[in-house]
Amino acid sequence: MDLPVRHVFRPESLDEALRLLADDPLARPIAGGTDLVVQMRDGRRLIATLVDIGPLGLAEIRERADGLEIGACTAMDVIANDRRVRAVCPSLAEAAGLVGAWPIQCRATLGGNLANASPAADTAPPLLVADAELVVASRSGRRQVPVGALFVGPGTTCLAPDELILAVHIPARRRSHERSIERFLKVGPRREQIIAVVSLAARLGMNNGVISEVRLALGSVAATPVRAHAVERCLEGKRPTAALRQQACEALQDDIAPIDDVRAPAAYRRMAAAVLLDRVLGEAAGD
Amino acid sequence: MTDRIDISFVLNGEERAFAVPPGRRLLDLLRDDAGLTGTKEGCGAGECGACTVLLDGRPVPSCLVLAASCGGHEVVTIEGLASDGALHPFQEAMVREGGVQCGFCTPGIVVTGAAIVAAGVREEAEWARLLSGNLCRCTGYRKIFSALAAASGDEHA
Repeated sequence: MDLPVRHVFRPESLDEALRLLADDPLARPIAGGTDLVVQMRDGRRLIATLVDIGPLGLAEIRERADGLEIGACTAMDVIANDRRVRAVCPSLAEAAGLVGAWPIQCRATLGGNLANASPAADTAPPLLVADAELVVASRSGRRQVPVGALFVGPGTTCLAPDELILAVHIPARRRSHERSIERFLKVGPRREQIIAVVSLAARLGMNNGVISEVRLALGSVAATPVRAHAVERCLEGKRPTAALRQQACEALQDDIAPIDDVRAPAAYRRMAAAVLLDRVLGEAAGD
Repeated sequence: MTDRIDISFVLNGEERAFAVPPGRRLLDLLRDDAGLTGTKEGCGAGECGACTVLLDGRPVPSCLVLAASCGGHEVVTIEGLASDGALHPFQEAMVREGGVQCGFCTPGIVVTGAAIVAAGVREEAEWARLLSGNLCRCTGYRKIFSALAAASGDEHA
C-alpha cells in the first residue's frame, strides 16, 4: 500500500534540504524510514512532504581531537561494527547491534533513532552516559544540543520543525581508571527484533575497589530516556558491597517513572531495571 | 491526486525507470510495477523479513524503504540472485538440504542468506544472529543452517 504522502524531495545539497524544511512547516526529513514508514502506514504520523536526506552523505564516522563524530545517517550495523565506536563508546556499539535485526540495522540510522524520540530508543542511554551532543542545522545556522536536552516526551524533541540533525559528537573519556566497565543491557521477550521493555547503559570507573566514576541511563522507564542521578549519587566513591547494591536498587526507584503498556506493566519494569543495575554492580564487585 | 515521480535505479543488474506515486514502497514497486512477485509481504512493519531484498548489497526490509529513496542505487531481489541460468550457491544448497517448508519466508531467507555467504560469516551463532530478522513459522531453521554451511563451504572451496 502506498504511504499517504504528497511529495518526496531528494535534495542533493544540505542547503537545499534546509530550505525545503524551512519553506514547508509540514515537511519532515526521512533517512532509513524504519520508524517513520511504520508510523505513517499505521496513520500514527501524518506527513504531507518527506525530504529524503539519504543523498546528503551524512554517514561518515570521523575521529576528532576531542572525540568521535558520527554522521546522522550512519546505519546501525556500521556503528555496531566500528572499531572507533567500540573504543570511545562501547555501549553505543552494543546498543546499535540490538536495534531490530540485521536488515533493520542496515537501514536504521543514528539520527533517526534519536529524532524518533521513543522512550525505548536503544542508542539514547549510551549517548546520555557519554555526554554526547547533537550537531543540528537549520537555515538560520548551526547549534549543539546536549542529548540530555533533546527528549521532551514520547515522540517529541526540542528541535524546531526546520532543524535537521547532522551528526552526533561523542567526547572522548577524560578520566582513566584501574578498571573501566561500560555496558548496554536490554530486557525483552527476545534478544533480537524487540523494542526494549527496559534498557540500561552503564559507565563505571573502578580504583582500588571503589567506584570513582559512575554514569547510568535507562530507556523505557519514563516518558523519555533518563539519567539515574539518584543512583549515581548513592554509588559514587563507595565500594559495591551487597548492602550498597541493595541501596542503589532502592534509589533507582526514585529515578524512574515507568508506566503499564502493551510491552510490560510498570511493576515489572521497576524490578527488571533493578536486576540490570545489580548485574552491572555485580560485575564491578567482581562477582 | 498526487503527481507521480520518476525513479531510476539498477534492478537485478539492469538500469530501470519507473514513474510511481511518491508514497510507493519499494516492496510495491517490485511486485506491482516491476512484476517481480518473488518478494513477499509478511508483516509490512519490518519484523518478519519476508520482503528482504539487497540494497547496495545489504539486506533491507523492502516494506520500509520508499521507492523514491532507491534512485541511483542498486537493488537485487530473489529473482536476481541466479546468474546465467545457474542458481546462487545458497539457493542450490537450500534445494539440496531441503531448507524449504511452506516457502513463504524462503525468498527473504535466501536473500539474507546470500548476504551472509557473501560476508564470509562461518560461525553458526553468527548465522543465527544475522538471520534472526527472518522468521520461518514452520521453524525449519536447522536445514537452513545446513544450507548456509554447505554454501559457505562452496564459497571457500
